[in-house]
Amino acid sequence: MGTLFNELKQDILYQHGMNACLNCGVCTAVCPAAEFNDYSPREIMNIVQSEDDEQIEDLLKSDKIWYCGQCFSCKTRCPRGNNTASVVLALRRLSIRHGYFAESEKGRQQLFAKRVFGENVLKRGYTLLAENITPAHFPELGENWEYYYEHRAEMRQWWDVPMDLENSPGSHRMIPEKDLDEVRRIYQKTGAIALMDAVEKGMEKKLGSKAEVEKYWQTWLETGDSRNYEIPDRQ
Amino acid sequence: MKLAGKNQAWERHQKHIPTIDEEGGKLWGCFRSCFLQSAAPYTEGIGYKILKNDLGMELREAPGHTSCGAIGYHGDVSNLETQMVVAARNFSVAHHELGVDNLFSFCVTSFANYTEMIKLWEEEPEWREYTEKTLKETTGREFWIPHVSGGRPSVVHASDVFFANREKLAAKAKYSLKGVKAVDHIGCHYGKIFPGECLGGAEFPQVLVGLLEAFGAEIVDYPERRHCCGMGFRQCAFPENRDYTASSVYKKLKSLKEAHPDCHLILTNCPGCTVFLDAEQGTIKEVLEEEFNVSILDYAQLTGLLLGYDPFKDCGLNAKVVPIEPLLDKIGIPYDKSKTAEERRRPF
Repeated sequence: MGTLFNELKQDILYQHGMNACLNCGVCTAVCPAAEFNDYSPREIMNIVQSEDDEQIEDLLKSDKIWYCGQCFSCKTRCPRGNNTASVVLALRRLSIRHGYFAESEKGRQQLFAKRVFGENVLKRGYTLLAENITPAHFPELGENWEYYYEHRAEMRQWWDVPMDLENSPGSHRMIPEKDLDEVRRIYQKTGAIALMDAVEKGMEKKLGSKAEVEKYWQTWLETGDSRNYEIPDRQ
Repeated sequence: MKLAGKNQAWERHQKHIPTIDEEGGKLWGCFRSCFLQSAAPYTEGIGYKILKNDLGMELREAPGHTSCGAIGYHGDVSNLETQMVVAARNFSVAHHELGVDNLFSFCVTSFANYTEMIKLWEEEPEWREYTEKTLKETTGREFWIPHVSGGRPSVVHASDVFFANREKLAAKAKYSLKGVKAVDHIGCHYGKIFPGECLGGAEFPQVLVGLLEAFGAEIVDYPERRHCCGMGFRQCAFPENRDYTASSVYKKLKSLKEAHPDCHLILTNCPGCTVFLDAEQGTIKEVLEEEFNVSILDYAQLTGLLLGYDPFKDCGLNAKVVPIEPLLDKIGIPYDKSKTAEERRRPF
């Protein structure tokens, strides 16, 4: 039993997700992500149960833990009451804290999660904002969405869900600064800010500089595909 | 046998949701959804109108209510501890600032997130103590746990509230779904994380089927009915991962088409399913040249249509990928035929 496994064991997400896995494979049979990707929740449970740090480290550096779609179909079906999706959440946090996430293509996408979901909460109190759903990043929403997006202030008025109102309840309102301060303090105190900082630091270490991290971010913003950014050869 | 199995599951998975005829059943605190307010704001709009105008409810929400943060939890920017304290803060605001006891959320992920925190506090008193203490330290607020369903610690989802009042809504409906085939698609975070909190359980959930039946629809079944839509948080949010979402939608709709080619209506209660089961039909049409033309409506949009609200201005069917007009024609709902489809959708 190694130090990585010991750290994993401290996470309440792990404690709640792992009872004892008999490796029946039901989770993989029902898993939507296992169907379309090189991913098996059964394999994840197997590796974790080995308590072997070397195997766990390889897992944390791989794309695998990032394929889970968090639908929890595995939880419903597990005959032993395990919750693989929660174990995956614990592994992802461990991977972020140690910077291992930056070693895989899917892991590096964590920068977008941090700068979209994370920073949105800290700035506005919502994980998603209306301006995030751009036609460029969501082309499947179609031409009517493009029209909506260009006219979103008026369209929302017309639908009776006006946006960005101040000192008012309602959809997409401006949350008062004093309430946002409370949320920021919660995120600080409960370790979420540290988790987000670890993403920026891990990316900087992997890509070589803050400027390269910005280049990676801009590539994604502009093309919607981080694979268009080439990882600098630092050998 | 088949029916007996369903009935047994149904009996095992009951929960009480206060109706408007019960004490306190008209006053609700509600939590908006980040996803809906960003990607489909009209669905909360029509939900609000129905609950207020047709069921006579008073809905209270505070300017200072925030996101539950669960998109960031499943998207790995927060810890479980963060979720506990944010949930406690939103509950405290609702109860101590707004004076409400009954709470529902418009998002199934919020519903699951709040349910998870409540169960955690019940099962592990030390985490409840941690939450109380951290809430006080960071916000100065007092801890409070809602007891919405049957007097036990719990919250419910907006679709539960529609279900509980379905007979009233059906009695007011101007149009019926008689002769219309339909099927439900339950959000994973409504049914799969805590099947005991899902009306009817994970296999035979009744929350949307009950609504469809009240409106007279003929319910069909198909093999992949319970397959996830593939929204997947980081999967749908980042375009380079969205092949997973499109593949999941394709698998489902292909299965529905094989079993019931004449079913063109899926009813949803999850923001993600509502948006992506529709949107990915556009991708599939473009990439595979295969059309399904299945309208994806959420419980509030469908109820709104049947109550006689305007399909576009009220129910917000402007921005769907699958054209809504064939379904309106089938039900017999009028709309302005002097305008083109584009003119109906683009008022400015």
